[in-house]
Amino acid sequence: MEMKLPLVLDVISENIIKHGSPLALKGSEVASWAKGLDLPDKGELLFYTGGEYQMLPFIDSLIKTITHLDQGSKMFSMMMGARNILNKTGISPEKMYASVLAKDKDRYNSICFKAATVLKELGFEFCYSGNEELYSGALLYELGYLEDMKDYVLRVAEVIKKSGAKTIVCLSPHAAEVFKFVYPKMVEGFDYEIRTYIDLVWERRDRLAKIKSESVVIHDSCRLARELGIHQELRDIMESVGAEVKEAPMNREWTSCCGGPIKILFPELSHVIGGRRVNELKESGSEHILTSCPYCLSALEGGRAKGDSALIEDLIEFLYRGVKA
Amino acid sequence: MTVDLRKDFVNYAKSLNVASEDKNIRTAISRAVTSYRNTVSETLERFPHTPELAEEVKGIKRQSMADLDNLLEQAMASVERNKGKAFYAKDHQAALEIALGLVGKGKTVVKGKSMLGEELHLREYLEDNGNEVWETDLGEFILQLRKERPMHILSPSIHVPREQVAEVFSKFFNKEVPPDIAEEVKVVKEFLREKYFTADIGISGANVVAADTGAMVIIENEGNVRLATGAPPVHIVVVGVEKLVPTFQDAMKVAEVTWRYAQYGVPGYVNIVSGPSKTGDIEKVTTYGAHGPKEFYVIFVDNGRTEMADEDKFSQALHCLRCGGCMYECPVFQVTAGHFGHIYMGGIGAIWTAFVSGGMEKAAPLVYSCLRCGRCVERCPMSIEVPAMIGELRERIVNGK
Repeated sequence: MEMKLPLVLDVISENIIKHGSPLALKGSEVASWAKGLDLPDKGELLFYTGGEYQMLPFIDSLIKTITHLDQGSKMFSMMMGARNILNKTGISPEKMYASVLAKDKDRYNSICFKAATVLKELGFEFCYSGNEELYSGALLYELGYLEDMKDYVLRVAEVIKKSGAKTIVCLSPHAAEVFKFVYPKMVEGFDYEIRTYIDLVWERRDRLAKIKSESVVIHDSCRLARELGIHQELRDIMESVGAEVKEAPMNREWTSCCGGPIKILFPELSHVIGGRRVNELKESGSEHILTSCPYCLSALEGGRAKGDSALIEDLIEFLYRGVKA
Repeated sequence: MTVDLRKDFVNYAKSLNVASEDKNIRTAISRAVTSYRNTVSETLERFPHTPELAEEVKGIKRQSMADLDNLLEQAMASVERNKGKAFYAKDHQAALEIALGLVGKGKTVVKGKSMLGEELHLREYLEDNGNEVWETDLGEFILQLRKERPMHILSPSIHVPREQVAEVFSKFFNKEVPPDIAEEVKVVKEFLREKYFTADIGISGANVVAADTGAMVIIENEGNVRLATGAPPVHIVVVGVEKLVPTFQDAMKVAEVTWRYAQYGVPGYVNIVSGPSKTGDIEKVTTYGAHGPKEFYVIFVDNGRTEMADEDKFSQALHCLRCGGCMYECPVFQVTAGHFGHIYMGGIGAIWTAFVSGGMEKAAPLVYSCLRCGRCVERCPMSIEVPAMIGELRERIVNGK
């Protein structure tokens, strides 16, 4: 039985397939952080962003646009026949781009830069696919578009292959998850070593500079803690930089989800869940929350109560303080 | 055929939003979550063999689901040997018709809590056909009066505070019932006490069924199941085929794991019923209907369960013990309670909805509201891979399968 699902699912899956980005961001936008770093496009170790952190400032405006459409209206059913939903709904990346606060754009765009800088400081050499880099397709997998994903992954694999890399380091645990568990089943010879950013930093944590900071609390991301089994590593890294970690009531493999995964379909509920998690994290006694997943970062930021005093950062942003110092 | 689910998603999102703002749900669930986590960690410390036993139970369940046809045949023969009567209902409608055939018209029925009863809308069906049916579980009784559906599998009326209970009781009993929990329990006790002893029929579910002996194991705390299945002259058990295990010993293991993860070190009562009441005290002549029921019937209900058992990717969902542990750990359920569900609740409930109670159409919005965060798997004594199954269902929904 064929089912018509909410528009936002069509928009996101079509964007991934057509534009290589869930929000149809251009390759040049996604790669703009790397300007001036002169990263090679070939090498042993591939630095993979998947455009995920770069996309964060636009997610909320997409959701606002989508939720304001009455999905039962005549206008809506007329649009259903249209091939290019993206244009018909007026959801264009340019439009969203314009509506986003410059400081958010700068912040999220610079996370990739900061991640790359920290790795360089630790002595890693790596390449980057730049404008050609494609999103991993993790959302196609998450949302059930596996048929589409079968074709899509071949394109992603082609770009990765061009780099000549043997190892891929992923900033997002979602990308690491699909590269590790899904791609090998769909792409012949996809036998790269898949590492997370955390793995690499952890390996050379002794070289990290000390970072002056109040105590921090770690929000373990579900994918990282449960699928990839990474949670002690985060604490080890904190110990190396001399930051005291306070623990939330639910942590490590018992961590509470940030609410992010249902944000595109159930935005209000997602915010309630994110807000509750922020409060749970603050029960640790620390107001400085660190996470290591783009969606957790966005969901916790979006879910916290108005005027909430917590500082929510990605681990990458925190580690970059040590580089700058 | 194309079904447009867009409106359903919008309405469902609204219901989740309303639920997440409901102070009663929030207070009750956060109290329940804290108490669940504390009690379980304390009882697991007191009974440290439990996780190992749960591992063994996984094996029992796996073996049972692979051998379902055989176990069903054995169990039906055992019930008959015990002088009961066994029926097999292929689907929803067949189950209701068999039950109605046994109950008839103009009867008074007392009923224990049963998720299968909810799945079949059994009470409503019997009522529509001219019977008086009373839910005897306190939470279910409250919901019966409020004409609402359960918000939790173990604590169905978790969302109703004492003040609202007093309100509905005062109206129903036609006298002032104060918002005092002990008083509220007392009025129901008095009312139902009379029903147990005048009822024609008692209906219950079962938590486990041992195929070798035909023993139905029913776990409870209130004591209502003892009375409902012991006092009336007829006892009907309505049970899903997934509750079958090979032996009595297996059944005890499953029962212990169930109640331990359902937050009880040990439950108030464990009923084991395998046939009608009997005595041989006079001249060693077996006579049926001594103190308890003279007639004993078991309806084994399939209703999509064997299809589930036949699918490699989903058969594990039938291992669910209905301990309710996953719900306490689910971030969506924690703020929306039973609104994240359709009869069956939470992530596992979305899977059950797809196969046994509502189909893919009803399941789709639930399936997309699961976070796939995986904390339910950490809690589940059977380690049911709900996120993987949700992923598979999404794929089927997208592909219109």
